[in-house]
Amino acid sequence: MNVPPDPRPGHRFSPEAEADPSPEPLAGERFAADLPSHAAATPPSPAIRGEDALTRPRRRRGLLALMVGGLGLGTLELGKTLYAASLGGDWLAAAWGMLGLGALALGGMALVRELWRLRRLRHHDALRQALRTLPEASPQTALGLAERLRVALGLDDDDPHWRGFLAARAPHHDGGEVKALLDHHLLAPRDKAARRLVSRMSSETAIMVAVSPLTLVDMGLVAWRHLAMIDRLCRLYGLELGYASRLRLLRGVLHQMAFAGASELAGEAGMEILSLNLAGRLSARAGQGMAVGLLGARLGLRTQRLARPLVFPAGEAPRVADLRRELWQQLRRLETRDTDTRTR
Amino acid sequence: MRQPLARELQDLLERGRDRQLRLAVTGLSRSGKTAFLTSLVNQLRHAGLEARLDLMDAAREGRLLGARREHQLDLGVPRFPYDAAMAALDADPPSWPEPTRGISELRLAIHYRPARPGLLGRETRRLTLDLFDYPGEWLLDLPLLDQDYPGWSRQQASTGEGERAALFAGWRQAVAGLDPGAEADEARLAAVAERYAEGLRAAREAGFADLQPGRFLLPGELAGAPVLQFFPLPGIASLDDRALAALPAESNYATLARRFRHYQQHIVRPFFRDHFRRFDRQVVLVDLLGALNAGPERFEDLSRALSRLMQSFDYGKRSLLTRLFAPRIDRLAIAATKADHVTPEQHPRLVALLEALLAEPLKDLRFADVPVRAFSLAAIRATQARRISHRGQDTPVLRGTGLSGEPLLLYPGEVPERLPGHDFWARQGFDFPAFRPTPREGGALPHIRLDAALDWLIGDKLR
Repeated sequence: MNVPPDPRPGHRFSPEAEADPSPEPLAGERFAADLPSHAAATPPSPAIRGEDALTRPRRRRGLLALMVGGLGLGTLELGKTLYAASLGGDWLAAAWGMLGLGALALGGMALVRELWRLRRLRHHDALRQALRTLPEASPQTALGLAERLRVALGLDDDDPHWRGFLAARAPHHDGGEVKALLDHHLLAPRDKAARRLVSRMSSETAIMVAVSPLTLVDMGLVAWRHLAMIDRLCRLYGLELGYASRLRLLRGVLHQMAFAGASELAGEAGMEILSLNLAGRLSARAGQGMAVGLLGARLGLRTQRLARPLVFPAGEAPRVADLRRELWQQLRRLETRDTDTRTR
Repeated sequence: MRQPLARELQDLLERGRDRQLRLAVTGLSRSGKTAFLTSLVNQLRHAGLEARLDLMDAAREGRLLGARREHQLDLGVPRFPYDAAMAALDADPPSWPEPTRGISELRLAIHYRPARPGLLGRETRRLTLDLFDYPGEWLLDLPLLDQDYPGWSRQQASTGEGERAALFAGWRQAVAGLDPGAEADEARLAAVAERYAEGLRAAREAGFADLQPGRFLLPGELAGAPVLQFFPLPGIASLDDRALAALPAESNYATLARRFRHYQQHIVRPFFRDHFRRFDRQVVLVDLLGALNAGPERFEDLSRALSRLMQSFDYGKRSLLTRLFAPRIDRLAIAATKADHVTPEQHPRLVALLEALLAEPLKDLRFADVPVRAFSLAAIRATQARRISHRGQDTPVLRGTGLSGEPLLLYPGEVPERLPGHDFWARQGFDFPAFRPTPREGGALPHIRLDAALDWLIGDKLR
């Protein structure tokens, strides 16, 4: 590369020598009017995945091919065995073949059901994404989206909540207004039920942990109760979970709790310390129960936030702080009864 | 007018507890103030029963119990003619309420259940809402308070070219020979002032909005008084302030300036002091469709009038002290009225156009950190939104009744998102037809988005 030498002191430049053939257009440069031009780069459409998408696309085609191939080949081989056995009159082998075929059919059905439920999860996610555009939607599209939400929530045409929504809706309501109405008429009852569920199940788990004698039992108990809670929450919002979809959702929830929830955790640290102080006044076991209960409440609320078809309006998402008091009261009651019986 | 001390103390207490709101319903003439107030009273009266106020949180949650008209604050001011307006709407055939010709007041007591019961655990609470109605023509006098006669005169002489100037041709002719320094001739001044008032009236008929002074259009009991016999003097444009001050006291200029000052101090200032100073919330109503129908010159005229007007109000955050002693407007709604005269999918465009029209005042409000929201609303809905299949396409239409009683089913056309250029006006204008109110079938008046506007204006006090 030909680098020009540094100018010596006292070097004079001629004005014309400045012409630097740079590719930058000069100010005021004119181009031929018929030069083909295309639209300036538009920002890519915002992919709303990551932060709080239900599922993160991760195809395991290899695993799927392996399972389908295994099932297919197994069926073929067993079929052949069955055929040979029926020709040879070997009834025992034929019966074993039948049994094997039955087992394969069951496995295949399970696989299909899993795939079906995964699809449901994906559909649910698609509906969530579609509903995110609701505030900008025109009155016509908004009504279409509302209908989709009704089907997803499993409401009938003559469900009182749906009828309440239809009565409140007017033809001039735009997307944002339809969203407010849907929030109130279709989702608020579910939200209330979800909150009750989270509160009840997390405090039950807390009490179970507080009274259970064995750590091993605790672990099993916590896992079982929390999975059941996630299942029931999802069913409330019209989402049926299979094994794989549950794993996927759980991964999303844990991911959220670990990363997206970190800032929230920091914000609530003060309250957290306070509640641990309170827990310090309980026995060690009850303190453990409190911690587990809080974890359960957090898990439940995160799941609720992920599974709710309409994203919560800003500042209206339920917070753990709202549930803490109930949890504390439950444990407190248990503790006082405990000491009462002991003193007696 | 003095009020009993106990009454004032009670009001002060209510304001201190923030249980009293004064809502300014601002709008030029024919922007739909009376219809807005009538519908507001009607909706709140029927709240919790037949009124559909679904976009109002308190009403949707069933916490709004209703409202009642109360004895008003100032016994010297007529009561808002709600019953007369309702009678007009219920007549056969129904008609729009009569335009306002004077000031009237109304006090509403709203009862509601708080979302979370307070410490005292009272089941219901009450909010007092003070409203008042006035002729929109008088509103444009408020900017006069900050002006002096030479400044006003120069401003008035410079506004208006084209069609507007043509309407004032008679006055210009009459005022042309008037020497500012010459001795005033009462009869001649009265004649020129009459020409000026004629020009204003003609301009109002032609759809212009920026018309000062407002009492010339609707003088009330002041008709014929010398205080209404002044006008801008184009002859003083070339003179500076010192030369003007040197003119003798009997000169045309000094006489007109005296009258202007009297008008300002004894007519506009009491109007402002008694009614406009103490507002907490404001809604600005704008008849955008009427302005579009009238053409580009009137549209700019409206924009100028509104931005001048909004400088007369006090905006800012509220605190306990300001609430008690120097109330300010801390929340504002701007609304394009008569939204029922266009099809629903045009509403966002109507809002965009409104924001474009009020761009300058909105910047000031943003600077003062006052929350503003724009709405497209119809206080009393006169049409139904329908769809028809036209040439194989699904087309939105409106169904209603024209002013002369003929049934209409029509597509009123598109609202532009911003003011179109002059060549567009030359090619084609807008023609949004007017509708008359539909007969009421009992219950509350139908409306568009009045509930959303109410929620924005008073919803935070109904929590």
